[in-house]
Amino acid sequence: MVLAFALYPGVYALLADSGLSTEVVAVLPRIETLVVVLFFGLFAMSFDFISGYTGYLSFGHAAFYGTGAYVVALGANGKLPALGPETPFMLLLVLAGVAAAVLALAIGSVSFRLSGVYFAMITLGFSQVLYVFVRDWDFVSSAPRDGVAVTGTLEGFRIGVPGVDGLNVAIGQLTGDSIEGLFGFINLSPTEVSFYAIGAVVLVCYLAMQRLVHSPFGRTLIAIRENEERARAIGYNTYAYKLGAFVASGFFAGIAGALFVGFRRSVTPENGFYFLVAGDALLVSIIGGFGTLAGPLYGELFDASVREFLSKEGGGGGLLPYLRANVGDATLATELYNGLTVAEAIDTFLNGHAALYVGLLFVLFVLYVPNGLLGTARDRMDGTLAKAVPRRVRRWFDG
Amino acid sequence: MSSDAGPDSNSDASVDPSQDTGESAADQSSGDGPSSEERDEPLLSLSGVETYYGDSHVLEGVDLDVYEGEVVALMGRNGVGKTTTLRSVLQLTPPREGSVRYRGEELVGRDTHEVAARGLGWIPEDRRMFGQLTVEENVRVAVPDADDADAALELAFETFPDLRERREAKAGDLSGGQQQMLSIARGLVGDNDLLLVDEPSEGLAPLIVEAVAEALTEAASDTTMLLVEQNLPLALDVADRFYVLDHGTVVDEGDTDAVSAEGERLRRYLSA
Repeated sequence: MVLAFALYPGVYALLADSGLSTEVVAVLPRIETLVVVLFFGLFAMSFDFISGYTGYLSFGHAAFYGTGAYVVALGANGKLPALGPETPFMLLLVLAGVAAAVLALAIGSVSFRLSGVYFAMITLGFSQVLYVFVRDWDFVSSAPRDGVAVTGTLEGFRIGVPGVDGLNVAIGQLTGDSIEGLFGFINLSPTEVSFYAIGAVVLVCYLAMQRLVHSPFGRTLIAIRENEERARAIGYNTYAYKLGAFVASGFFAGIAGALFVGFRRSVTPENGFYFLVAGDALLVSIIGGFGTLAGPLYGELFDASVREFLSKEGGGGGLLPYLRANVGDATLATELYNGLTVAEAIDTFLNGHAALYVGLLFVLFVLYVPNGLLGTARDRMDGTLAKAVPRRVRRWFDG
Repeated sequence: MSSDAGPDSNSDASVDPSQDTGESAADQSSGDGPSSEERDEPLLSLSGVETYYGDSHVLEGVDLDVYEGEVVALMGRNGVGKTTTLRSVLQLTPPREGSVRYRGEELVGRDTHEVAARGLGWIPEDRRMFGQLTVEENVRVAVPDADDADAALELAFETFPDLRERREAKAGDLSGGQQQMLSIARGLVGDNDLLLVDEPSEGLAPLIVEAVAEALTEAASDTTMLLVEQNLPLALDVADRFYVLDHGTVVDEGDTDAVSAEGERLRRYLSA
C-alpha cells in the first residue's frame, strides 16, 4: 500500500496525459485530495487506536486535532511563549503532539472513570467546551470565530531534519517547494512535494502506532476491549492502560492537526475542534474497518474519493463537470419526465449532494460490510494483507 | 466458620447413615485432617461478607476459610451466590459489609488488579475469552510478565495438547470445550497461589470434563483452589473440603471424604 501511494502521483500524471485523460481526471482523486487523505487519515488512525482497540469511543477526539493545529498556527505567528515565528516546523510538530498528549492525559484521567456511552459523552463535552472557548478567545486572532491564519511567516513549513537545508522541503499548496530533475527525470509540483513529505511523517506515525498495537501493550488493549473485567482479574491496571493509549492517541491526533495547518496554513474552530471532525473520523473508521489501524486511512481514501467524484468541485474533476462537458447538447436537453431535462436532472441529483450519497454508502457499509474495507479483506484473506498477498502470490506461482 | 449457619444443618432425619456419617458438619470438618483451630492462618478468609447487586441482597453474611494447599469446593443450587462469592473475593463486585482477607491482608476496598497481583487467579464461569486474540495471545496476555510467557505457553500446551494445534486460531473460533481448556490454561499459567475456579465443567461433553478434571487435579497438587462446581462427583473428586451455600449464606461444610455424591446430606441442597 505504501508503494501504491508512492507511485500514485506518477501514475496519475501518466494517465492524465494519456488518451483517457478526461475520464481519469473525473474518476481518480487529485494529489491535493490525497494530501488531505494522509493527514486526516492519520487523525482517523489515532481515533481508531483508542476507540477501535479499547472499545472506548472518543467522541471528543477533535480536541486533540484542534490543539495540534492551533499550536502550529499560534507558534508560527509567534504567539506561543518562548517561541518565535522562525521556530522550525518539526519542533512545532512535536510540540503539537505533546500539547495534545498532555490534554489527553487531563481529559482521559477524568473520562476513564466512566465507560460506554458516558465516556463518549464526557469526551464530547470536553471537546465542545474547548471549541466554544477557542471560538471566543481573542488571543488567537482578531476574529477568533474565523480561526487563525498563519501570517507570521510567508515561507512554507519545512519537513525534514532541522538545520540541514538539503534534507528539508517546504510544504503547502502555495508555499511548498517544487523539485525539478530529481534523478534526472522526476519533476514534482509543490502539491506533490507536500504529498511525499506529509506522507513520510504519516508513515512514521503509522509504524509507531503499529509497533504499539503489536506489542504486549497492544495485546492488553485488545484484551480490555474484549473483556475488561477479565483483564483486571488477570492483574492489569486497565485504567492506566487505557489512559496510556489515550495519551498516545492524542499525541498522534495532535501531529495530524499540525500537518493540517502545515499544509493549509489556517485553521478554524469548525475544522479543528468541532465535534463533527471526530464524527468524520468515526465514519471513515467504520468504512475502513474498526480496530484495524490502517483501515481508517483506506476509509478516508474511499470517502474523499467518492466525495470528489460526486462533487461539483475538483478543478475539472468529478462526475458533474465530466457529464456537463461530455454529454451532447441534444442529450442534455432531452426531457426525462414532466419537463425535467437530463441537464436539470444532473444538476438536481448531483450538484452539491455528495454528502447525501456518502451517507447512503455509509448506511450500506454498516449493514453489509460491518468489518469495513480492510477488516473484510483480512477476513477473506485470512490474515493481514501484508502476509496474505505474498502468500497468495507464492501459491499462484507454485501452481 | 459457619457450623452454626443453617438451623437445620445435618439434622434432617432422612440422611442415609450408610452413605453419610450423620455427624454434624462441625464434627466432620474436624474428622480426618487438622481442624481449623489446629491449622495456620487461612490463606483466604471470608467473614460476614454481604454483597448486593443494586438492591438485591445476594450474599447475606458468608464465612469461609481456604487453607494453603487445599482444594475447597463451593456448592449450591443456581443463584445462591457461588459466583458472587468469587466476584466478591476479586472485588469485581465489592462487598458492602464484611471482610475478605488474603494472607491476613484485607482485600475489601482494593482494586481488582491489585487483588490479582497478590496471586489470585480466576477461571470464570463463562470462559470470557479474548475472542479476537489467538490462542497463543490469550495465554501470553494471561502472564503480565513477558519474560514468563514462553514457559507459560509450554505449560498450557502440555496441559491441553489440543491447544497447541490451534495456537494460531482466534479464541472466538474455538469450540466450547477448547475455549474451556484455554480458559483453564490461562488460569493455570498465571503463577497464582490461589485459583478461583467457577463451574469449569459447565456445558461440556463428558470427554472434555475428564480432561478438565485431570487438569484441575494436576493443578491442585501445587495450587490452592476455591472451586465452584455443580458436578458433584467432580467436585468431591478434586476437593478436600466443601462448603454449601443456600440463600447467600453457608449452610453446611465438611470434608469431602465424609460425604458421597449420592448421599442425602448434599443432595438436599443441590437438587432442584
